[in-house]
This record gives sequence, structure tokens and C-alpha cells, in this order.
Amino acid sequence: MNETTTVPPTDQAADCGCPEGGVLTRRTFLKAAAATGALTVASEAYATRYAFAAEPYAGDVFVVLSLRGGFDGLQAIVPASDPHYLDWRPNVGIPTSQLLQLDPTFGMHPAMAELKPLYDSGDLGIVHAVGQAEPNRSHFEAMEEMERAAPGTSLRTGWIDRVIGGRTDGTPFQAVQVGNSMPAHSFTGPSPELAMWSVESFGLDAAWDEEQRDLWDHALRKLYLGAPPSLSAPAQVALQALDTTADLQEEGYVPANGAVYPNTDLGRALRDVARLIKADVGLQVACVDYGDWDMHAGMGNVDGGWMADHLGELSGALAAFHTDLGTKNQDVTLVTLTEFGRRIEENGSGGTDHGYGQVVLMLGGGVNGGQVHGDWPGLAANDLIDGDLNGTTDYRLVLAEILEKRCGSGTLTDVFPGIGSDRLDLVQTKPT
Amino acid sequence: MFDVGAATLARAAWSKRQLLEVMVDFWSNHLNVTNPSDNVWDNRHDYDRNVIRAFALGRYEDMLLASARHPAMLRYLNNAESTKGSPNENYGRELLELHSVGVEAGYTEEMMRDSALVMTGFSVDWSTGAFVYRPQWHHKQAVQILDWSSANATADGGYDVGREYVRYLANHPSTARRIATKLCERFVADVPPPTLVDALTQTYLDSGTAIAPVLRELFGSSEFEASLGEKVRRPMQDVIATMRILGIQPDSKGTRGLRSLYWMIESLGDAPLAWVQPNGYPDTADAWRSAGGMLGTWNATMSLVAHWWPKELRRPPLRDLLPPRLPNTHGKLVDTLARRLVFRTLPTEHKDAVLQFLGKNADSPLTKDSDAVKWRLASLVALILSSPYHKIR
Repeated sequence: MNETTTVPPTDQAADCGCPEGGVLTRRTFLKAAAATGALTVASEAYATRYAFAAEPYAGDVFVVLSLRGGFDGLQAIVPASDPHYLDWRPNVGIPTSQLLQLDPTFGMHPAMAELKPLYDSGDLGIVHAVGQAEPNRSHFEAMEEMERAAPGTSLRTGWIDRVIGGRTDGTPFQAVQVGNSMPAHSFTGPSPELAMWSVESFGLDAAWDEEQRDLWDHALRKLYLGAPPSLSAPAQVALQALDTTADLQEEGYVPANGAVYPNTDLGRALRDVARLIKADVGLQVACVDYGDWDMHAGMGNVDGGWMADHLGELSGALAAFHTDLGTKNQDVTLVTLTEFGRRIEENGSGGTDHGYGQVVLMLGGGVNGGQVHGDWPGLAANDLIDGDLNGTTDYRLVLAEILEKRCGSGTLTDVFPGIGSDRLDLVQTKPT
Repeated sequence: MFDVGAATLARAAWSKRQLLEVMVDFWSNHLNVTNPSDNVWDNRHDYDRNVIRAFALGRYEDMLLASARHPAMLRYLNNAESTKGSPNENYGRELLELHSVGVEAGYTEEMMRDSALVMTGFSVDWSTGAFVYRPQWHHKQAVQILDWSSANATADGGYDVGREYVRYLANHPSTARRIATKLCERFVADVPPPTLVDALTQTYLDSGTAIAPVLRELFGSSEFEASLGEKVRRPMQDVIATMRILGIQPDSKGTRGLRSLYWMIESLGDAPLAWVQPNGYPDTADAWRSAGGMLGTWNATMSLVAHWWPKELRRPPLRDLLPPRLPNTHGKLVDTLARRLVFRTLPTEHKDAVLQFLGKNADSPLTKDSDAVKWRLASLVALILSSPYHKIR
């Protein structure tokens, strides 16, 4: 951002104590305003929350990638040694010979080849047969329950909101949804979050150049002074965040280490997450959506089609994210979640219907990778739950362990009521 | 299903029956059936018409009874598949907690189970999608919920017992208090004044759950009169208010503009009828406090004012917001516009902020060629409509 933008000479200098001649930027204005105490009144709640945090957050950035629509984990991480797999899926099933072998039981869909080296090097881990407390085969309800993450209670907040609510330190960027202007329902509740299509698009549409941006910024800051905190606080955070994104936009971004993201919504969103991580803006939790997994018909087979394309894009984006982060991978843990897995038996339309047990992918420097975790229940008819892979590991155990060992969270009974103390040794404890 | 959301939005923006539309919004949230939602695609429009709109200014007892036998509600909260052998408690719980007395009424878990059991058999005909009472699914056994009880001895009698139970709930003093409180939260303040809640509770009970007398009393109260500027607009209310002030009109043909408008409001997290949990959209400022939301409404305001998008909606010239004969100073221009847009003049420090935005002071002369009424008029209007004075009602 240009530090010496000159706005049209007016009576601003007299008003805000700026240097004579009206040389003014957002920052000098802020300094001047802060010196006169002008900004302190209405925004105390956020000021304590954001500006003067005693200790900055030192845990991992937790990235949650939501594979919406019902991700068919049985096509991605294939139970090759299970004799029933190809019986259930004679047409769409992935033949054992073409799998990328992970361990004696499981193999990876060949379209995920870009992730195989990360599995081998130990930064990619997998948990299979993960589920919610109860099967729920409605997209809306299952997503809602997954993001509420408090089965059997009447809590109306989302789990990320409860995580953030338990922390006193933060910036406007502590909890961010990227790739969508609407935060996921895991953010629902009183803790603030930012939702943005992208870093590039996060801006005030009315302010088409630097001069206009300064004019709007000054005017809005002043107009919100004295407003009720429910208005002044988010206005101040928005203006602060706009300041940061304006700087980021000015600086531009080139992924490091030759990382090449797919030129898709997913690729762009993960690129922005990496950008925010590296810009050190205080990111703690980031959510990204990657949908269109509801493959009831025509999912394709090992040679190509919808599923292979989607897995390829997913793997390419995750691999690029990992490459781009470089040494920063030590401070980032990413998980994929989906509302439900899919029926083991393929349907008559070359697809699979809504099911239960699912797969979670974990990526990051602290992940106990190179393993397929979890308690494999098997695919024989009497191992199934109403025709579906059982969910033998509560997905909240995955989230809880990451929060405890990587993100410095203390007791999680308020975040995940009734969570219990079982853990699966999925990640290493973050060194302090 | 998708048309119901767009139609609701169109009525909120352009209907002449504003109180009805506000009450439709209120009840749609109170008896929320999320729209769109994959189990109500064939009946959500009927729920809107024959449950919510039919009784929005009528008697709550009638609305609650209608909802209790509507396929949309029965499927949404899983009562349609609730049987004596395998009861689903979802509807029975929300009927108590959200639709009527609330947890503060002090019912026990056992009563909550009875609430689910007494409603078993209220179901949906799978082939026609219509309501059906299935006696063979009804749990017949004595039930006790708060101070209501029933022998509930026959399967065939279960329908009447269920209706009696719903009627009891609608007329319960705790229900009266919850609805009075929520109405105050909607129209008066986030922390409702207790005296007004008491008065409305009594009116609700005296009038046999009729809503019109309650509203009449609310709007005549001193608390309502004193509440101007106490409530923060939700994003959709903010956008609709902007549209009404600017006089934005529907598409001249088709619904492309309307659909874009729906999308605009959806992206602000406030698409009509779309709250995903059974408890309906929150109606207090704290729940909507969001920096991304604030930026979103600022951008939506500018887009509507400048007529960037949705293009298909018709916006009268901005010049029409000003009198034919312009004020002669920039100070008077800001006063005139503020009165037109936010129904008041701005205090000095905020008026000065707007003047600084224009690079002028109060006495700077205004002519028909001044920037402020030419290329910067849209920015000026958008700035005033982006201020807290428009965000509060």
C-alpha cells in the first residue's frame, strides 16, 4: 500500500491532527485517532480481544476441508484385501492391481498419485471407517449434525465457534472461511469469524482505488464511533481486515517451492489459505468447501470419470498446498470431513447412494502419517449397518486429538460434550 | 421449493401488507421448516400458505394445530416415521421446547418422551404425500405432560388425544410468555421490557391465543414508542429497507433480478426461510455481529444504490431522492439526504465525516454541477445507507 497517498486538501488535517497538507493514509489516521482516544470507546470488547492479546496463538493452524455431498471413501482408500469389496462393486470398484498399495489392507485410487509421496514421507495420514454418533443419510441433517458436533444435546452452536470461544487471543483472521461468503455452520455462534470468497475479492466494492479506499475508510470509521458495540465492533474488525487484505493484494502472491495449484475453486481457496498462513495475520482455523461428491449416478471407474477427476483435483490441490507451505507444514494440520460415506453396494446407475462410515484424510507436519488408522469393521453383509460401512471411530475423536496435541486446547468437554478420553495416536504432540 | 424463498423475498420487498409479511417471517422462524430442505420439496409451499400465512394474524392455537398435522413439519422433525415400537423424539421435543412452553416450563425427560409418544401416528401417506393418521402406529397408554394428562386408551382415539394435547400447549401460560417475549424481541428490544411481556402474556391468554389483540397492545405501548433505534437490522431487513427507500422495483419481466437478489441475501446468511436448525433465525444483534456480514451489507448497499447488480431490478434515478431545487450548500445537501434516507439529520461529528468524504465543509456552495450531485452522488447515498443510522431501526 502506498504510504504517502495525498487526499484532496480539505479540513481533515484540522480534524484529526494529521500533518499539515493533508498527507494521510489509513495508518497515520489510525495512529492519530488512537492518540486522541477516538477509537477506544465503542470497540472495547474487540480491542481487548484483538489488539492487546497477552500471548499470540502458538498452536497449529487447523484447516478443515469439507467434502460436501458425501465423499465415497471406499473408492479413494480402497480395502483391497477385503474379499467383499469387488463383490459389492463389480462395475465401479477399483481393481486391486491398479491400486497404489498403502499397507496390507488398503490401497489408494490411482488418481490420487500426487498424494502417495506424502503418505510415504509421513505427512499424510488416513483414518478409515469414521462416523457420526448415528447414521443420518440426509445431506442437510448430517451436515448440520457434523458441524454442530454435539449429538444428544440441544446446543445450537458449531464446534469451531466453541473452540474459538474458549480462546482469549486473536485477530480478525483467527477463524476464516475461504472460498465462500457464508461461513460453514461449524462457525455458528457468538465468536467472530470472517468469510471471504478470496483474499483478492475481499474489498469494499465502492472503493475502486487507493484514494477512494482511504475516503471510505475514514468516513466509515468516524460514522461508527459511538454506535452500539454490536455494530461498531464488527465494523472496526471489517475495516481492520480490509486494511490487511489491501496490503496482501498489493503485495501479490506467488506460491513457494514451485507449487502449482489446480486452477479451480478448490485450488484457489487452498492457495489463499497458504497465503494467509504465511502472511502471519493470526489465522487459527480455516475452512474450505469442496463439494459435488454426491455421485448417485455415473461416477465412472478406475480409468476415468467423475470420481477419478474429483480425486485428481483434490490430490493436486492438497499436494500443491503442502509444497507451497514448505517448512510451515510444521505448524499446519489439515483434515477432510464429509457428512457421510456411501453405500457399499453400487446402484444400478453406476453410482453409490448415501451411506455411513467415511474416510478422513489428515495432512501436516505433525500427523502420524504413512498409516491407515482406525478400526476396520469389514464389509461382509453382517458387518454392515443397514447396508453401509460401519463408522467405528467418532469423527470428533480425530478433531479432539488435533485440538489437544496440536492447537493447545485444554479440556474439550464444552466443545464436544460427552467426548470421552479415547484417542487414536493420530498426531504428535506439538513441541512448545 | 426454491420459488417459495424467492416469493417470500418478493413479498417482503414489494407487498403492501407489511405487517403480514413481518409476521409471516416471525412465525416461519418460530415454527421453522427449513427451506430448501431435501425432505420437504413437495410440500413446503403448502406449509407456507396453509399453516403460516393462513394464521399469521389469526389464532396461534389454529396455527400450531395445522403445523402438527402438516406433512412438511412431520417429515422435517421425523414424526412421520415415529411409531410406538420405534418412537422418534425429534418432533415431540421441539413441540415442547421450541413451538410452545419452552424448557423453562420445567417438563421432565419422561414428559418429553410422552410428548413424542402421544404424537405417534401423526404421519404422512407415502404415496400421496398427504397427512395421514395411522392408528396402528399410535402408542396407547396413559400420558402425563406438565399438568395435562390423558388415559389415551385407544389407538383410534389417538388423533383426538394428540389434538387435545396440542391445544393445551398453545393455551399454556408458558407458551403465552414465550410468544410475548419473542414478539417484544422482534419489535421492541433484544432485552424485552418485562412489564410489556407481562401485559402481552395476559392479552394472549385472555384472547384465546388470538394474535391481533396482542399486536395491537404491543404497538400501542409506551415501550414500543420508546424503542425507536433499539433494534439492529438483520441483513435481509437491511437490504429490503435500502430497496424500499430507493424505490427499487421488480423485474419488468421474468424473475432474474429477483433471483439475483435472493442470492445476494443468501450470501449474507439471511435467505428467507433458510435457517437450517429447527429454532429459526436468531433475532438479536449479537447473533448477527459479523465483520464479513458488515462488509457484505456495505457492498450490497453500494451495488443497489449504483444499480450495478441485480441489473434487472428497476431503480429510479438517484436525483429523484433530492428536491427539484437543490439546497445551496453541501451542509444542507447532507441534511436533506439524511432526512430522506435515514429520517433524521446527523449529529455534527458524523455530518462532518460525510462532508470530509466529499472533500467539502458545510458552507461549501452546491450547484447542479457539483461532484456531490453528479458522479459522487451514488457514493454519498451509499455512505449514508452504510452508516449505523440505517442499520438501526
